Amino acid sequence: MSTFHGLEMARQALASQQTGLYITGHNISNINTEGYSRQRVNFETLSPYPSASRNRPQIPGQLGTGVRAGTIERMRDQFLDARYRTQNSETSYWQAKSTALSRMEGLMNEISGGDGLNKIFDDFWQSLQDLSTNAENSGARSVVGEKAKTLAETFNYIANSLETIRTDLKSQIGNESEGKIGDANSLLRQINALNKEIAEIEPHGMLPNDLYDRRDNLIDQLSSIVDIKVTYKKSATSSLDIADGIAEIELVDDAGMPIGVQLLSADDKNLLDDALGKFSVDFDGTKGVSTVNFGKPGAEASFDFMKVSGSLKGLIENYGYMEGGNVKGSYPDMLANLDKMAVEFAKAFNDAHGKGYDLSGNHPAFDFFTGDSAKNIGVNQSVIDNPSLIAASEDGTTGNGKNALALGKIITDTLPGDTLGKDTSVKGFYQSLIGKLAVTTKEANSKLENTTYQQNSIQNDRLSVSAVSLDDEVTNLLKFQHAYNAAARSMTTMDEMLDKVINSMGLVGR
Amino acid sequence: MRITQGMISNNMLNNLTKSYSQLNKYMDQLNTGMKITKPSDDPFIAVKGLSYRSQVVRVQQYKSNTNEAHQWLDNSDTALNGATQALQRLKDLAIQGANDPYNAEQRKNIREEVEQLKKELIDLTNTKLNDKYIFNGTDTTNPPATIAGDGSVTVNTTQKPVEISVSDNIELPVNVDGGKVFGGDFFARIDKFISALDNNDQAGIDTAIGDMDKNIDSVVNARAELGARMNRLDLIEDRLSQQEINAKDIMSKNENVDYEKAITDLLTQETMHRAALAAGSRVIQPSLVDFLR
Repeated sequence: MSTFHGLEMARQALASQQTGLYITGHNISNINTEGYSRQRVNFETLSPYPSASRNRPQIPGQLGTGVRAGTIERMRDQFLDARYRTQNSETSYWQAKSTALSRMEGLMNEISGGDGLNKIFDDFWQSLQDLSTNAENSGARSVVGEKAKTLAETFNYIANSLETIRTDLKSQIGNESEGKIGDANSLLRQINALNKEIAEIEPHGMLPNDLYDRRDNLIDQLSSIVDIKVTYKKSATSSLDIADGIAEIELVDDAGMPIGVQLLSADDKNLLDDALGKFSVDFDGTKGVSTVNFGKPGAEASFDFMKVSGSLKGLIENYGYMEGGNVKGSYPDMLANLDKMAVEFAKAFNDAHGKGYDLSGNHPAFDFFTGDSAKNIGVNQSVIDNPSLIAASEDGTTGNGKNALALGKIITDTLPGDTLGKDTSVKGFYQSLIGKLAVTTKEANSKLENTTYQQNSIQNDRLSVSAVSLDDEVTNLLKFQHAYNAAARSMTTMDEMLDKVINSMGLVGR
Repeated sequence: MRITQGMISNNMLNNLTKSYSQLNKYMDQLNTGMKITKPSDDPFIAVKGLSYRSQVVRVQQYKSNTNEAHQWLDNSDTALNGATQALQRLKDLAIQGANDPYNAEQRKNIREEVEQLKKELIDLTNTKLNDKYIFNGTDTTNPPATIAGDGSVTVNTTQKPVEISVSDNIELPVNVDGGKVFGGDFFARIDKFISALDNNDQAGIDTAIGDMDKNIDSVVNARAELGARMNRLDLIEDRLSQQEINAKDIMSKNENVDYEKAITDLLTQETMHRAALAAGSRVIQPSLVDFLR
């Protein structure tokens, strides 16, 4: 047994407790760092003395030799991470849907403010009724012209605004290096770079905790865009068992089953950024998204994006996508319905208008409404320039306003030929459009609320494991400080002991 | 479960945000007076609201149409009343003129007044309301009565009814067919009376008494029918007023906020919000650090 055993033990204790204090300090420093997991020192006893051997000293038993700081580990639960990411994809999907639908809803503006199409149709109908009671009055005629113009312009405005939002959605989807697709590509490259760094550190028996945190943070962000599953591969045989390893990422469907698209694999860590797999989108003109692809340069292949939850799917479902040659999605659907409504209304209105007589007793020689879509429906300039050309009369006499009544019925009654569906009037058609929009928006909003709630609850579970608590850390500070102080005292005791032996011994009788 | 400062402040923020959005919702309700501010708040209320509001618009429009109908009927009645008085005076003049002692000179004087009354009747036939001839059916821009060079009057007898829509499927005729009232021999009888006066023809003047009665009958019949239509219009108006109240009531029940409830909700929410703020501000402040020296 060495004379200096005690000194050495106290020195090790001082060093180890100091490590504890440093880690505590690191934790406190990072209490507000996004995605930081608290770290802890795993203290280990040093090998006891003596070990079993033939020439061991004959002392009563094994003697402890003190402490050392073994590993520095982060507190993290990978199962909670997996749950969080699945939920994150779901929440982001509903977030994207809810935002896009709410914008559409705001645009239609039917409740507050109340200048939606429903009101404009009512106004137009009223002007036609007024015309029917004062068919010869040029004032009533001008009002009909102006109200019709407002109606057409409202159609134009809504359709154009929907297109503007669609363009915005398209840029949010992005491509290659822009929008969500660009984000996903950039995240994959950053994760790959961290994989590479981690793979260089782990084989030396160390745990790159802060790099793990950064990587988990990036993976969390990726999971908001597409639903992913992460598996880990050991970086080297010399790596510690508690090391995380290299993250491999693949796309999964709603049930969590892989759909056969590997975003990142362990071998990718040696590749340059340009050689890594990449997301890209093909658009079918302005109609919609035709395919979403992923793959390394030269090996891009499309995959079924409708299976993969996340904000990307949410955006595509609103922007529009091709399915069996047809375009689908909430915005294209609404635009198509508005087109149908505008066109069928204009057609029925023009037919009825053509049957009437203008103020001079002639059938009109023009269509009242022009255009072939909600975007370009307009009122014939002749109507605005010369309102006496409006065919309000049923029989050619000036005081007869019955054709104006018939025109009003185009708005309120079932369209001739059931062109908007059986027993469906223009207003009924529009009201059901608003009804459907309201229901889908409400669904998206409440789904968003539910998924956000669940995500918060999982996030709390995660934080419960990983987050820094000041109370913990301050307690640890005290704990390590006391241990440090006591180790110093123990060293002082050893010192006094040695002092006695060296300076005060052998002076008997002096 | 291990709880950290971060979790407490996150949860507090989440809850405060939710509480704030509730407060905002009640504020919106009170400010706009509407239960909902966008269709997705309640799709059912929103869609019903659209058709209820249109229903109110319709009833109000029909009410305004009945005002128009009233103008027609009232003005027609006034004009016919004027016609009755003029005809009554003509009859009086005929009775007066048929007296034996009247000589040719006196009958000439009567003739002057009869001429004036004839003009008055032509004017009444061509009564205009808001620039419309009301006794010419739907041909409202042309006068029904035209005077020929020889002073004879022709009244358009092929008139089409003017109808005003006062309900979804009810179109009420609002004009008096001027052709039936003033057409036919109406003015010819007066002309005959005039020529009888000119010719000092006592027998002719006697006949004019009966003729004027025929004219009066013609006007009175039209007024009787007009009166019946006015009654009908009044009934329709009453019904529309009732419908307007009902439609507004249904609309309001559907989408207008119940103020007592909204204010109570707001106060309750405010209390909860204050409690959350108070609790939060106490909990997030202290940590062990505050108690160590």
